Amino acid sequence: MNAAAGLDFAGLDLADIPDRIQTEVQRAIQRSIKGVEYFSSSGPSLGSTPKDILHVRGTMNLYHYRPMSDEIYRVPILIVMATTNRGYILDLVPGQSFIEFLLKRGYDVYMLDWSAPKPEEKRLAMEDYVLDFIPDCVRRVQADSGETEITVIGYCFGGVLSLLYGSIFNDGPMKNLICFTTPIDFREMKLFQNFSDRRYFDVDHLVDSVGNVPPEMILSSFEMLRPASRAAGQVQLWENIWNDEFVKSYRMFDRWATDTLPLAGEYFRAITKDLMWDNKLYNDAMSVGGRKADISRIKVPILHAVAEHDHIVPYDAAKPLIQKIGSSDKEEVMLKGGHVSLVAGANAIKRLWPKLDSWLGGRSI
Amino acid sequence: MADKGNDPVAIWQNMIGEMEKGFNAFANKAMESPQFSKAMNQAGGVTAGAQKQLGDFMEKYLLTMNLPSRAQMVSMAERLQSIEGQLNEIKALLHQVHGNAAGPESGHTGAPKPPRTKRPPSPGGEQK
Repeated sequence: MNAAAGLDFAGLDLADIPDRIQTEVQRAIQRSIKGVEYFSSSGPSLGSTPKDILHVRGTMNLYHYRPMSDEIYRVPILIVMATTNRGYILDLVPGQSFIEFLLKRGYDVYMLDWSAPKPEEKRLAMEDYVLDFIPDCVRRVQADSGETEITVIGYCFGGVLSLLYGSIFNDGPMKNLICFTTPIDFREMKLFQNFSDRRYFDVDHLVDSVGNVPPEMILSSFEMLRPASRAAGQVQLWENIWNDEFVKSYRMFDRWATDTLPLAGEYFRAITKDLMWDNKLYNDAMSVGGRKADISRIKVPILHAVAEHDHIVPYDAAKPLIQKIGSSDKEEVMLKGGHVSLVAGANAIKRLWPKLDSWLGGRSI
Repeated sequence: MADKGNDPVAIWQNMIGEMEKGFNAFANKAMESPQFSKAMNQAGGVTAGAQKQLGDFMEKYLLTMNLPSRAQMVSMAERLQSIEGQLNEIKALLHQVHGNAAGPESGHTGAPKPPRTKRPPSPGGEQK
């Protein structure tokens, strides 16, 4: 028996010291080996749930995921992805894929995903997204599924687009609406407000100069919200590089977070002026292509999932959605986690996905 | 087992976490000021202007070097995109024709579509 066993030195059990040293030495060796592996290998393959491309038009991609259940719910789902990021955040790897979860629970899933708008698409405006791309996808989902009614799920700004669509096409065919971390009151996105302060930010000059807003600029504005987090993340990666699960997770989320899309110039101009500056969605003054988009006109059942520690869309920016929407069947759920971990990762698997399934199942027949 | 509060590794990890939080909070506070917005957007405006000038210069340079201009490349990309789009349409039509031949309950892949008869599990029941 170790003579030092049981001795306590300032709270540290001396008997544990040899084991602890051994563990740390092993980890240091593993770090060197795994560090080389890290730089010489690619990350896990993402977005691999089997799917078919139903339609591609410019920046718009419509996918249909192949069912994984012997029978499916009557009402298909159309997921509208945020225009700044790729849809594979909802389909990371088997076992950590929201899409796979939905398919296994018997839903018929379609996704409207975006690719980078090309320079010639700089004139795409809000009306192209709300009055053309989404309705076009809805028609194609109807034709493919043979069903008239559709559940729409919007993530982040995809939620804003879904709300605008739902408020203009409020007589159908949207049957249910689910929004994830969707901002309504843009005054409450305090840092973005300051970055785009109309006294100093000349959006016309920017858009007229660069056409589409480059992804580096979008990424920088997201990273500026937590300027130390990238460096701290890399320190954590080095500490945990011996841990394959940690590294896999880090690579998946890091790849997605840095895979930011450019934004079409006119569309960005409209977001800045109508939403960031004039807060028109919150003030019931929003219109798209001359058509009034007032969310109080939406009457379908709605579920809004928000994250307790969301630094991109703070709760105060998302809170008014449930207050202002016209639906009588409406529910907000606040879950632990941040803007991304709400929809993907361990928290999502435990919390959001089962909640969504229990809410949506009965409304999909 | 060592007390986590005295574990040097745990202390180090905690310190990194606290430093991250502290720096983020400090920087966020600074970034809320109008002075920050002014400085950031002045720098951004200069960058955007320089980017435009560089773009114009490159266009002229490529023309001088008898290389395809950006507009020509974009036009080629558009034509390729249009061909891709038409191929997708043809693919979808082929799937549809194949699906119809296989039976009305087939999807665009030709595989049979599952029936849309699923019901939610009864409360407390097993998920089907």
